Amino acid sequence: MFQKTSGIHIDGRKAMSKKLTMEEYFNPEYVYIHLIKNIGPLKATVAAGDEVKIGQVVAVREGFGEMNVSSSVSGTVTGIKKVWHSSGRMVEAIEIKNDFQNTMDPHIKPNKNIDSLTREEYIEKMKLAGLTGLGGAGFPTYIKYITHLPIDTVIINAVECEPYLTCDFSFILEYPEKLMKGLHHFIKAANAKRGVIVYKNYNKEIKESLQKYLHKYPNISLFEVEDVYPAGWEKYIIERVTGKTYTGLPSEVGVIVNNSSTAIVFADIVEHNIPLISRPITITGEGVKKPRNFFVPIGTKVSELVEKCEGYADGLLPTKANYIAGGPMTGRAILIDDLIVNDTLGAVIVKPFVEKLHPECLGCGKCADVCPAYLTPTEIKKAVESNDLNLIKALNANSCVQCGLCSYVCPSHVEITDAVVKAKDMLRKGAK
Amino acid sequence: MARFANGKAPYLRMADQDNKGTGIIMRDFLIGLMPVILFAWYKNGIAVFMDGNTTFFGMLYPLFFILAGAVSSMLMEAVFFFFTDPEARTLPSLMKKLSLSYAIIPGLILALMLPMYTPIWVLMFGTFIGNIVGKMIFGGFGHNIWNPALLGYAVIKFTFMGLINASGGYFNPSEMIALYDATAGSTPLVVLSSSPFSYDSIVAPFGNLWTFFVGMTPGGMGETSVMVMLVSYLWLSFRKVIKWTTPLIYVGAVFGLSWIVGALNGDAGLWFPVYSILSGGLMYGAVFMITEPVTTPKNPLGKIYFALMLAVLTVLFRFVGSLPEGVGTSIIVMNIFALPIDKYTAIIRANRWRKPAWFKIATLAVILIAIGLYAVIKAGNVYTDIILPILPFGGVM
Repeated sequence: MFQKTSGIHIDGRKAMSKKLTMEEYFNPEYVYIHLIKNIGPLKATVAAGDEVKIGQVVAVREGFGEMNVSSSVSGTVTGIKKVWHSSGRMVEAIEIKNDFQNTMDPHIKPNKNIDSLTREEYIEKMKLAGLTGLGGAGFPTYIKYITHLPIDTVIINAVECEPYLTCDFSFILEYPEKLMKGLHHFIKAANAKRGVIVYKNYNKEIKESLQKYLHKYPNISLFEVEDVYPAGWEKYIIERVTGKTYTGLPSEVGVIVNNSSTAIVFADIVEHNIPLISRPITITGEGVKKPRNFFVPIGTKVSELVEKCEGYADGLLPTKANYIAGGPMTGRAILIDDLIVNDTLGAVIVKPFVEKLHPECLGCGKCADVCPAYLTPTEIKKAVESNDLNLIKALNANSCVQCGLCSYVCPSHVEITDAVVKAKDMLRKGAK
Repeated sequence: MARFANGKAPYLRMADQDNKGTGIIMRDFLIGLMPVILFAWYKNGIAVFMDGNTTFFGMLYPLFFILAGAVSSMLMEAVFFFFTDPEARTLPSLMKKLSLSYAIIPGLILALMLPMYTPIWVLMFGTFIGNIVGKMIFGGFGHNIWNPALLGYAVIKFTFMGLINASGGYFNPSEMIALYDATAGSTPLVVLSSSPFSYDSIVAPFGNLWTFFVGMTPGGMGETSVMVMLVSYLWLSFRKVIKWTTPLIYVGAVFGLSWIVGALNGDAGLWFPVYSILSGGLMYGAVFMITEPVTTPKNPLGKIYFALMLAVLTVLFRFVGSLPEGVGTSIIVMNIFALPIDKYTAIIRANRWRKPAWFKIATLAVILIAIGLYAVIKAGNVYTDIILPILPFGGVM
């Protein structure tokens, strides 16, 4: 109770998608650019019939978190359609037909004056490239960097603590040098003193591939964390690396945390002006024949990627399987396998589930034991059932990070995470 | 395009694994009860038979008695399900309901607490009170306020004790011959509540402290042996059925408080606190009752507070009240307060000891310290020295 945040070990099941190396797949026939980013809506700047090039701006986000969103293929805009988004809703998207010419927008060219970039120029580049965190939350990256607080450390989160996911892992193995460069630029953009790359202790390959470049960047170091869930949580990482805790944002303790894939993409943004147009994704799970990782343009249909994995496993009954967008702990079940890759979608997992009879909550308290935020989910559930907003507030339900551990450990299969999420919803509505 | 099933995050669940889940927890709990059942059989059946004090059927009787408890507890719930739930009127559906309600456990625990010569119908009455009044009426498994077995035990204790004493009481045939005259038919705790604090009157009639540790003293069928309880404790903690800290805190606090009480009564020897934790159903309660998940607080801080509070009440009821059994009564009382304790400690934990929770921390601390002090002062018989001179309190407490 007085100890540091801790987690529990979860069987990673990552081996299945590590068997094959990452495949670059750049030629989908159609791409769909969602007109939503993070939680903000986008305004399309192209109309049906327009010719677009790779990297051309097709939509903008206005107001808080303003940024540009670029096309990921070259071709013709064929209209605006409603397609599935990883948030589980249908969202409007710009449909672009690929002409397979791969013509680049003129502004994509190697950057000359890389070493003399100022902090403002870095932030401008992030904004123009539409860079958001590729870890899963999709928070606009530049907002982290316009803080006025002094930043001491930039941490690269390469932990990938969710089971099944290996896209960050294989992306680093593909581009270790870009990761170091991206972090180097992040450090400069934040005026920080040092950079730390955090990875899980069993990922020896990451250590091996990055070690060759360490001598070039004396202010960058590696840091191992143990194999527990949720070791990829920002608070957990910062506590392990710096020993400090905070309540609001990491910049309070002089730290910025970025995902490893974000850093690799950022290296391209700085050196070649390539905006955020593609991302790594894992297609995996027991329901897929040959799970593997892809590097794909944003807007690709997931069903095409599943076909490249040789389709669903034999004997898979879709009605007895979940089709999960994101990691198995925090992701969301999508009803129809017609999903489009967006900037926050790190994985699609197809996984049959077990049907078992479960008794009621027996009150063992395992959920309270594992909670990394020291909450008591059973009490929050009771407060939700009795609609007691004050009690929910007193129980601090807002500090829940939705890691899903309480439902994971529950021996009675109680949907306890869901109850806490409901409590957070009630707080949000009640506050209005 | 395929349609997939819906579900709620997370999509990985421990409960889905073959060797995890509530069913496995309950199975492990039953395995943890096995040493106790075997000991009860040995002490009241096999050992007596080897001494030549009973017949072959007499040797098997303890097992039969424990089985009767299990069967009658299943029977009670089956009858309840049959009459209240229209879907549970065929045998397979009824069995499914019973297996998800874990009906066998309260009966077993109750039977192990009672003396062997309790009439079977009294045992059945106990399971009726425990399983139907204490459990099913509250909404079944997971909703009960009191530990069902303990509720049954308490009701039996308050209503049928004379009957039990008349039909043999706490002494099995061997103990009848060896101990009955020396102790005038009193069990250790009865002796404790009426005798001065001296080794010769409390421990010596039954042997020595080792006898108490092994458990060959008069008492309930399975609750006397600390040695066997330790085996169960290790197994249950190893399998993570119970939280290993709770019994430790409880036993430790009773040990400490008893030491103080003993010292205030003029004997600071270590034998008294050791005797305190070895005697009565204390270990049985510590391993099987205060760790029972449904009726105790759910968050770790609540469990710690619950155990401390129980220790204080156990000492109070043992030395101050007129009831010989402090453990059972204190657990029954504290079961009621499990809900508020859980709520308060959950708030304290969620705010990580910061300001919003200070009032709640203070409330809990004041209650614990006040009752603790009262118990020690009353049980330590230092009442006349400390309280009486303070005039407003004189005579009130």
